[in-house]
Amino acid sequence: MSNHPKDEISTVQAAVIIISYMLGAGVLTLPRTTAQAARTPDVWISVIVAAVLVILAGLIIVHLGRRFPGRTFFEFTREIVGKWIAFPLVITVIGYFLVISAFETRVMAEVTSLYLLEGTPMWAIIMVFMWIGFYLMNGGINSMARLFEVILPITLIIFVIIILLSLKVFEFDNLRPVLGSGVMPVLKGIKPSFLSYAGYEILLVLLAFMNKPSKGNKALILGTCVPLGVYLLTLVMVIGGLSVDGVISRTWPTLDLMRSFEMQGLLFERFESLLLVIWIMQMFATFTITHYAASLGLAQLFKGKLTLFLLILLPINYIIMMLPKDVNTVFSMGDFLGNCSLVLFGGIPLLLLIVSVLRKKGVKPK
Amino acid sequence: MKHIQLKLIHIVKVFVILTMLFLTTACWSSREIEDLRAYLGIGIDVADETKFEKEVNMLGGHYPKKNILTATVQVVPGVYGRSDQSQNTGSQTPETFFNEKLTGDSIFQIFRQFSLRRDRPIIGHHLKVVVVSRALCEKYGLEKILDFFLRDNDIRPSALILISQEKAMDVLSSSQPGEIPALNLKGLVNNRHRTNRILPPVSLSRLEAYMQSKRSFILQNVITAENEIKFSGAAIFKGEANQWIGQLNQTDLESISYISGTAKGGVLKTYDPENGQSIVYEVKSADSVITPKVEGDKISFHVSMRTTGEIMEDWSEPDRLVDEDYMNKLTTLFKKQCQKQIDETLYKLQNKYRVDVVEFGNQLRIDHPKVWNRVKDHWDEVFSTAPITYDLEVDITDYGSAIH
Repeated sequence: MSNHPKDEISTVQAAVIIISYMLGAGVLTLPRTTAQAARTPDVWISVIVAAVLVILAGLIIVHLGRRFPGRTFFEFTREIVGKWIAFPLVITVIGYFLVISAFETRVMAEVTSLYLLEGTPMWAIIMVFMWIGFYLMNGGINSMARLFEVILPITLIIFVIIILLSLKVFEFDNLRPVLGSGVMPVLKGIKPSFLSYAGYEILLVLLAFMNKPSKGNKALILGTCVPLGVYLLTLVMVIGGLSVDGVISRTWPTLDLMRSFEMQGLLFERFESLLLVIWIMQMFATFTITHYAASLGLAQLFKGKLTLFLLILLPINYIIMMLPKDVNTVFSMGDFLGNCSLVLFGGIPLLLLIVSVLRKKGVKPK
Repeated sequence: MKHIQLKLIHIVKVFVILTMLFLTTACWSSREIEDLRAYLGIGIDVADETKFEKEVNMLGGHYPKKNILTATVQVVPGVYGRSDQSQNTGSQTPETFFNEKLTGDSIFQIFRQFSLRRDRPIIGHHLKVVVVSRALCEKYGLEKILDFFLRDNDIRPSALILISQEKAMDVLSSSQPGEIPALNLKGLVNNRHRTNRILPPVSLSRLEAYMQSKRSFILQNVITAENEIKFSGAAIFKGEANQWIGQLNQTDLESISYISGTAKGGVLKTYDPENGQSIVYEVKSADSVITPKVEGDKISFHVSMRTTGEIMEDWSEPDRLVDEDYMNKLTTLFKKQCQKQIDETLYKLQNKYRVDVVEFGNQLRIDHPKVWNRVKDHWDEVFSTAPITYDLEVDITDYGSAIH
């Protein structure tokens, strides 16, 4: 036994990382984006269907990763398709992680400066976020997993309690009729649900760190089902409380639901700040894990020190984050990321898997 | 040499950490709550410049604006020594609130104009009530008038919307010392378990949903007289334009509470046909099922209503022991009275105002979504010709502590 613990994570930790990555800005906007696409209250079905599709896509990623034990996507792609195809592909995936990291931080900053810290300049909010994140990421994937293990239960418990408080304005009729306009609206709602499930792709990196990579499927399914539960609860409560018509025009519908009622006689009357505070922790998790993945990718690609790339990417991340001029551009950035994720992690892992089997690269998982 | 270098690095490190301490201890842009004022209520009227404004304008204090509305802002805490009612106590007690009025064509600009007059900035986090005067609603759609409130990030969508029959600024004035009118208005809607003449509260977020869906809806109406307020009836707003088109009275609200099954309490009074004395029934609960029927192009509705409650007052035969016979007689009487009210209200909605404000359309949307999609754009017209039948059951479960 060596004195230096290996940077290794357990199956549960892997699941926790996937959950913490998935839960992020999505919860705050999901009711609007899906309702805008579907225009019916059936979007909760879309979220379930999307979860199933995500698990399917994730299984392919796990299968692919298990052919190359101990190595990440950034390393094994080269072996499968050769240097010339692998390089742009890896760079694109790194770019994706970086942009999603920037997107998540920007959304956090937008919401915080709108509802919590009006007047605090955005750079100040982000700076704190980034430096603490850097400190955490420098500790390696194991430290991150440990932190997420602490904040995830807190988030989930507080979230469930306060979202259930909105039963006060809940109206079941707002969720009816089920499938009133057929299945088309449900299908339309699937695509916007995808961005909120962005996160399973981290398995491309994560699998290499797992002490039991054979349990990758378990981590994936657990990691998708918890966010599914959170999203279902959110959609049902937000649409039940505000109705489809009321959701479409609100920028942050989940926060507006919390702002739509006041509880008298409880310790607090208002709960949106509490929701926001715990949610910032989840956004922080998403930010760190994606930033880490991007830096790790670069470090492995150019065979440099991880700390160096973590630092180099911080200002780049900040610049990307500040590119969108207003909140609408931020949202289109989100849509763009959703599309990218669809192409990058829905299609390419399957192609890579086929090629690797055909060219007999990697080992056959037992 | 190396030793000195290390020491230098150490000093720099300590210095950096100490400087960082200065950054971590502050609250950015924090403002002391003592230096703020919160507005609890807002009344919006048709423009009517105050004497102060007229004089200011004469002195050159005018800025480019059209006079469209006058906003009355109810601000707490009040100003020390302004109170007129504090003479008897001797000490200087602060007035609990004060109202500010300004005229303009943008509510937000009016709000910022207050900063030219009062030292403490007013903040919107605690807005409870928005009162809009009927006269203004007849001119402009609610969507325009309330746009600011739906956008502003301080104002919570839980704020209540009321329509005032006369001036909104009068609704926000009160003759009761120590009472804050905005809080009183907000508290009034909690009395729904006592009377079914109060509509279920409509908050900004619910109103937004109404307006987005382009349906017609009703909002609680407030009247003022002799510096006192009273909830009375409801203002009707018609679809698309969100403009005021008419009014329902208190009895209509009772009927609506039976039809939609939302009554949580309330009084149903009838007269004994033999001697003309009043008999009163207290509604404890109400239930209703609206069933839309679609046959080809024909849409009709059937409503099954049921209310339970107790006899609370009987002037007709107070001494009479309650027996089966008498109970049946009373049940029939109450049923008749209730039917009369409901018929009147339905007639008013279908023939006078021709709008659906009782969720008939909502039920059709749920039960027959395809049909709804076909008719939703002209639903009010379809509704006004749709036949509505109903059955009503009045249950007397109790007759109070008096056995007779």
